[in-house]
Amino acid sequence: MRIAKALENGNGFSKKTLNGVPYYEVNRGNEKLLIVSALGHLYTMTPNVASRDIFPVFNFSWAPRYMVERGAKKTKTWINVISKLSKKAQEFILATDYDIEGATLGYTILKYACGGKEKEAKRMKFSTLTAEDLQRAYENTLPHIEFPVVEAGLCRHFLDALYGINLSRAMTISAKNWSGKYSTLSIGRVQGPTLKFLVDREKEINTFIPTPYWSIKAKIEIKGSIYEAEYEREIIKTKSEADSIVNSCKNKIGRISRIEVKKILQKPPTPFDLGALQTEAYALFKYTPKRTLEIAERLYLNALISYPRTSSQKLPPSINYTSILGSLKNHPEYRDLAEFLLAKKDLTPREGKKDDPAHPAIYPTGNLPEKNLTPQEKRIWDLIVRRFMAVFGDPALKQSMKVSISVGKHTFYLRGRRILNEGWIKFYRPYVRVEEVILPELKTNDQIKFLEVIREDKFTRPPPRHNPSSLLKKMESEGIGTKSTRANIIETLYERGYINGERIIVSELGFDVIDLLNRYCPEVISVDLTRDLEESMDRIQSGNEKMENVISKAIRRLKPILEKIKEYEKDIGRELSISIRKSRLQERTLGQCLTCKTGKLMILYSRRSGKRFVGCTNFFKGICKTSFPLPQKGTIKPLHKSCSKCGWPLVQVKIKGKRPWILCINPKCPSKEGLSK
Amino acid sequence: MKCKICERKAESEFCKFHKISYENLVKKFEEWKKSMDISWLEYLKMLQDNPYTGVWVKEVIQYLLSKESNGKTEKIKKHSNV
Repeated sequence: MRIAKALENGNGFSKKTLNGVPYYEVNRGNEKLLIVSALGHLYTMTPNVASRDIFPVFNFSWAPRYMVERGAKKTKTWINVISKLSKKAQEFILATDYDIEGATLGYTILKYACGGKEKEAKRMKFSTLTAEDLQRAYENTLPHIEFPVVEAGLCRHFLDALYGINLSRAMTISAKNWSGKYSTLSIGRVQGPTLKFLVDREKEINTFIPTPYWSIKAKIEIKGSIYEAEYEREIIKTKSEADSIVNSCKNKIGRISRIEVKKILQKPPTPFDLGALQTEAYALFKYTPKRTLEIAERLYLNALISYPRTSSQKLPPSINYTSILGSLKNHPEYRDLAEFLLAKKDLTPREGKKDDPAHPAIYPTGNLPEKNLTPQEKRIWDLIVRRFMAVFGDPALKQSMKVSISVGKHTFYLRGRRILNEGWIKFYRPYVRVEEVILPELKTNDQIKFLEVIREDKFTRPPPRHNPSSLLKKMESEGIGTKSTRANIIETLYERGYINGERIIVSELGFDVIDLLNRYCPEVISVDLTRDLEESMDRIQSGNEKMENVISKAIRRLKPILEKIKEYEKDIGRELSISIRKSRLQERTLGQCLTCKTGKLMILYSRRSGKRFVGCTNFFKGICKTSFPLPQKGTIKPLHKSCSKCGWPLVQVKIKGKRPWILCINPKCPSKEGLSK
Repeated sequence: MKCKICERKAESEFCKFHKISYENLVKKFEEWKKSMDISWLEYLKMLQDNPYTGVWVKEVIQYLLSKESNGKTEKIKKHSNV
């Protein structure tokens, strides 16, 4: 509708529907425009062999999604409507997102639904959905769609299908042939290396042995106030040395031996590319990368921000900084800040190194929300607006002070910090933590009273667990996946049961899948393979490589891998089946039984009534009769945590359309007292 | 052969994950002895209570301590300075 509204040229537009599919009719002078949306990909890459029980498959072609995917019935009507409308059209303009996916999905629709119009179609290029940008894009249409980009997109879809379908089938079929039971297992050329990062980190954490060390701090008194000073060495390796330092410094008078004052200029942040926005939104609001992308896409569709799937950290002057700030000035929250920037003589943004040929960094369009935004949308929009303003700010001037206090042969440091000129921080204030420590006036040789000297017992820590945001960053730095696919790949790892938790823990199944692949086909989980393919696709996009070469190279690499899996199908199937069984059992295990102390509490199903309940595994040995009822609706997930009131396990209950809640399985738990009254 | 702790495939007493954990345990003991002057048994008990100790290491400790309480003390003795 935004495109129709932008192009109506004063003549108005009308919304029509054909078989339930909306489209818009716009009169522009002598010409009549029909605008119909694409509903995402209408076609998908599928193997030419229909049976799902066959691998390897190397021949794929594009097919309508409704013919291949269960939940894609709607696409049939869409394709039919587009085909019908296209019959009367004299000219075609592709106005999908200007990126690899937008170009690819547009190409398939033009080719298959519109009857081979891909070569003659023109292209609209825009980075925001504002009326001005859309009008400009329409008046300056590109003579044809971006063919090298399309070729790279087609190649990516082919490679994803080639690797994903073959490897996932190989694992699923092996397990099914061995156990007779079907379980979806998946692995792909990006999923594999990503899971391997997590497994490697998990191994480091699980085999970690902390090492003791000590640090020393002192409470000192200066002009009636108490400050904390740290010992000159951060790490002391033996307890005896730490004790000896404490003993020789306590109750002593120290002397200021040196005062160092430094002034630091802190540059403004760079504009947001998608990865940086996802990282910041996770750090500030704990939004997963996928959620941030979904919110950003809604803001883009509302013409509030520019296209978010960008890797650019640059803001070209053509976006018109002054006009954006001028519009933002109309919002009461940004009025003062925007006016401050507009009064500057020079508006030059600080930019990062990364660039994207298709789009600039993410920026606010200047449009103000026409309807109420959800709290989540409001947060992300505010973050983008403030970041945009901050990049035009002056560097912040900070002062740090290091005071050396000698006591005998030992030295302690007292540190102070303050902001002299806040610069860009003024614009980004809610999202930047500033902790000032202001010290009184001091000079060398001042005497300092040591009130207390404290030994702190510490241990080295294991590397931190990845979270969805740090994992996304790792994928980005390793050059695997794309800005558009990374968040979804992480979600798939959760869906398959390979990982769980916000601070990511790898499941036994995740471990076993990587262990198996590592033994039988290590190439599949190597970063090199997928990075090499990504680079090949970049070369296709820049016109330096042919899709056919990349595809035949990929098939040559995959063939021996699949042959090896076939050869060891029985062993692989057995190992995977055992792992799946263990993992299913783990999913139903709540924890240890508090009555018999030896059995495990599990979610079981009554043979008589079919109802689910919690029972002790020792029931089958005739030792323990502990059991608890469970809600019969929704899904139940063990939390592997104990109730703080009674000690019995907690579970999470999820019912469609309701907020999930945490339940103690013990109906007599003190926390439930009074609930039934 | 199966791992004595987790029943995964093993070439000796432990699977590869518990083997690495056991080797780390032995290697790090020297560092702890230098830092704190403690016995092997005290070392194991301190690590068992430490929140940063890895899960697999804790499982190995549990196994070694239960072996010790069952009287099979060969490994404990080997490393103990008591």
